[in-house]
Amino acid sequence: MRTNIGIFLCDCGESLENIDFEMVRKKAGEFQNAVHVGLSSALCLEEGLEEMVSAIRGKGVNRVVIAACSPLLKETVFRKALEKAGLDSSSLSMANIREQCSWVHQTDVTEKALEMIRMAVNRVRLIKEIVREEVEVTREVLVVGGGLSGMKSALEISRLGLRPTLVEREPTLGGEGFYVLKPFPGEVIGSMAKAVEEDENIEVLTEASVVKVDGDVGSFSVRIRRGGKEFYRTFGAIVFATGQMTEISSADFKQTSNIISQQGFVKMLQVPEKFSKRPEVIAFVLDLSGESSRLSTLSVLNNALAVKEKLGSEVYVFCKNLKVDSEGVETLYREVRNRGVVFVKFEETPKIESCEDGRVRIEARELLLGDEVTLFCDLLVVEAKPSPSKGAESLSSMLKVGTDSQGFYQDENVHLYPVFSRRKGMFFVGSCRGDLDPTRTWMDVSNVAMNLYELLSGGKVRVEVDKVKAEPDKCQACLTCIRVCPHSAIRLVRSERSGETKRPFINGKREVAQIHDLACEECGICTSICPAKAIEFSGISDEQILAEIEAMGEGRIIVFCCAESAYPVADSVGKLGVHYPPQIRVISVPCVGRVDLIHILKAFEKGAAGVLVMGCQEGACQHLEGNTRAKERVKYAQDLLEEMGMDRESVKVVNLGPNMAWKFSEEASRMAERTEEGKR
Amino acid sequence: MIVAERKPFEEISKMLTGYKKVLVVGCGACVTICWAGGEKEVGILSSQLRLAASREEKELSIIESTVERQCETEMVEELKDKAQEVEVILSMGCGVGVQTIADVFEEKLVFPALNTTFIGMPQGEGVWTERCAACGDCLLYWTGGICPAARCAKGLLNGPCGGTRRGGKCEIDLEKDCAWVIIYQRLEKQERLDLMERYYEPRNYRAVKRPGKIEIIRK
Repeated sequence: MRTNIGIFLCDCGESLENIDFEMVRKKAGEFQNAVHVGLSSALCLEEGLEEMVSAIRGKGVNRVVIAACSPLLKETVFRKALEKAGLDSSSLSMANIREQCSWVHQTDVTEKALEMIRMAVNRVRLIKEIVREEVEVTREVLVVGGGLSGMKSALEISRLGLRPTLVEREPTLGGEGFYVLKPFPGEVIGSMAKAVEEDENIEVLTEASVVKVDGDVGSFSVRIRRGGKEFYRTFGAIVFATGQMTEISSADFKQTSNIISQQGFVKMLQVPEKFSKRPEVIAFVLDLSGESSRLSTLSVLNNALAVKEKLGSEVYVFCKNLKVDSEGVETLYREVRNRGVVFVKFEETPKIESCEDGRVRIEARELLLGDEVTLFCDLLVVEAKPSPSKGAESLSSMLKVGTDSQGFYQDENVHLYPVFSRRKGMFFVGSCRGDLDPTRTWMDVSNVAMNLYELLSGGKVRVEVDKVKAEPDKCQACLTCIRVCPHSAIRLVRSERSGETKRPFINGKREVAQIHDLACEECGICTSICPAKAIEFSGISDEQILAEIEAMGEGRIIVFCCAESAYPVADSVGKLGVHYPPQIRVISVPCVGRVDLIHILKAFEKGAAGVLVMGCQEGACQHLEGNTRAKERVKYAQDLLEEMGMDRESVKVVNLGPNMAWKFSEEASRMAERTEEGKR
Repeated sequence: MIVAERKPFEEISKMLTGYKKVLVVGCGACVTICWAGGEKEVGILSSQLRLAASREEKELSIIESTVERQCETEMVEELKDKAQEVEVILSMGCGVGVQTIADVFEEKLVFPALNTTFIGMPQGEGVWTERCAACGDCLLYWTGGICPAARCAKGLLNGPCGGTRRGGKCEIDLEKDCAWVIIYQRLEKQERLDLMERYYEPRNYRAVKRPGKIEIIRK
């Protein structure tokens, strides 16, 4: 089919005065395949859109270029209009001639606008038709862990009409959460367990564990071990609620029978009659190793209050800080104080010793008054240090879901908080992802339930088929993409021979990489790293990027911008009226991990003066390591330039936060200055 | 698999001095997998060569092509048309690939762009380590499946030298394991430590008669 490109210009209410739109209109009409150039003053409003739709229909346009404001503002509106005109919504390419052209320069930028339109024309010409398909997803959800957060998750998920299966390692539900008396007294846990067991929609597998997980979101194939037997089940998603472990670290004192953990103490308090002798003085110590958590504060306050109610003993709490920012904890703290509990704030770790008479001596320096405090108590309750639950490390590495620096689930990445993992369809709730108080755990559960509802309730999900695809005729099954995919969305599969091929197919079949349409998050890291150039990312192919570069004049500085971070920053430069040199040209990429060495080298081949690769701040990449990969790649590109005797600094990686318009402009200007100097 | 790495740009560029038409040929097998000479690397090197030439205002035209396996005559023969257009063929295959191309196109100049380094395996992303010395006299049966000939810096056969460093590292390169330490640990796991006491006579380095040739005749 012939490519008919329709170009639609918008002068934004005649406000973009430094662009000569009549000239642009005339020259754009001469571009190859251009069948229509329209000019509007408000393309995004109803009238403008209608005009565009009728022009598309009337002129047989099948590819659309819109030169207007930033795509971040109205792209969705324009795509809908395309659909209305009977085109696929993907047949659009935009030239951001407002924020990234007119607004960032004071001089006449007609030529620059025209060049940006040419870039968009070159790109749109290469857009491939996208095939959309519905894939089935199962409504079964696996919840791992039968503690508070696991049970709550199962109940919520069941309420939404999905079918949860709760897998618990122990013989009974309940988990470790019971060592906080309030707001979850034993009865609440009991009734929750009862509710779970009575819910016909929830399947409970106790004394069971997850052995292996294959497959991807929508249909994970999970091997479960129970009672010496192993079996496979299919789940659409997996929720991890594996909780945490707690342990008294006895490095600070010699452990005796009257030094116990919070957990042990709660058990004792549940049957106060069992105390052989009522303890006269009870002390709690927090913050012995590092800083205590919200959960420890909550449990100390609850338990101190319970002591007052049930035993009436004297209570002292030694701590560095109390964390009272959870819901209702400030009030609880006041109540505890009013009941006569004494708080001793220390800075240096207190000395703890067992006395011969069976009591425990605590020596501490009170921080506020500077007094030495010595207390003899009958029972000392120490904080147990939370640590990741048993098996968290092996499970996380098996599933490639990542942990934080302390070994709790979930990478330290702002895009994943609160409940996402790096893999689509795997979620974390509650204390398995860190030390969470119940309020936050409840929020996690609601969050997961909402996401699961969206993902699975329809039983089908619409996907773009083969949006990222490894070409079986080129794939060498080298496993590189599988190793680097941050979302574990790639598998090796047997590909059937189709038609004539010179590849060594064995029995008509061959192993090739396959990218899962639903699990793929479209970062393009695999496409850039594939040593056989076998992977094509149809949304932003190498050809498209190179065609954009091709459209540029000489001496340009090409800025590859992460669509999530640097591109909006580039827009904000315009919005703030900050300026940068006119030779800057922005190419938007889904993640800077998509930027390949060949793009950088080709840019120089085509006469670019410099290349900037701008992505997220380190640790804030939505694809976890796209920006660190870009950094390595740029370093390698610098080496390549250097061995050719070129200035290694003419390519540079820049990390931007959302509010760093000044840095964008500064780096762009610096690169422009540097390349100008190089010329002289 | 065969592991190789690219020669320094300067060396390649010197080899090509004076030639105006070059065919850069990648190989789809081992060297693609070890990121040294696949289609991607062909693109990068070609781009570099073009850039360098244009900076020096020299004329240079490059044809890029990657064949399935450079060590197969039939697959290399597919380059015939392209080869006719150029003065030099720059092979990004291993040493075998370079020679296959040179044999197929005897009248052409065929230069190597890679240094073929060893037979090894990938150890995660972007790391390859040597595993086999292709000695023709395999002794892995005795050494717990770990080859001292390839993995000991000195190729010792009867236990470690005196240079084993703390943590079982090699004195030649502290980042590498002493082969004999890991052999010992492996045999210990297999309860075959008695094999450590076995004396190995000096090796028969003529096990493979150079040049090597294997003929398997199938009925």
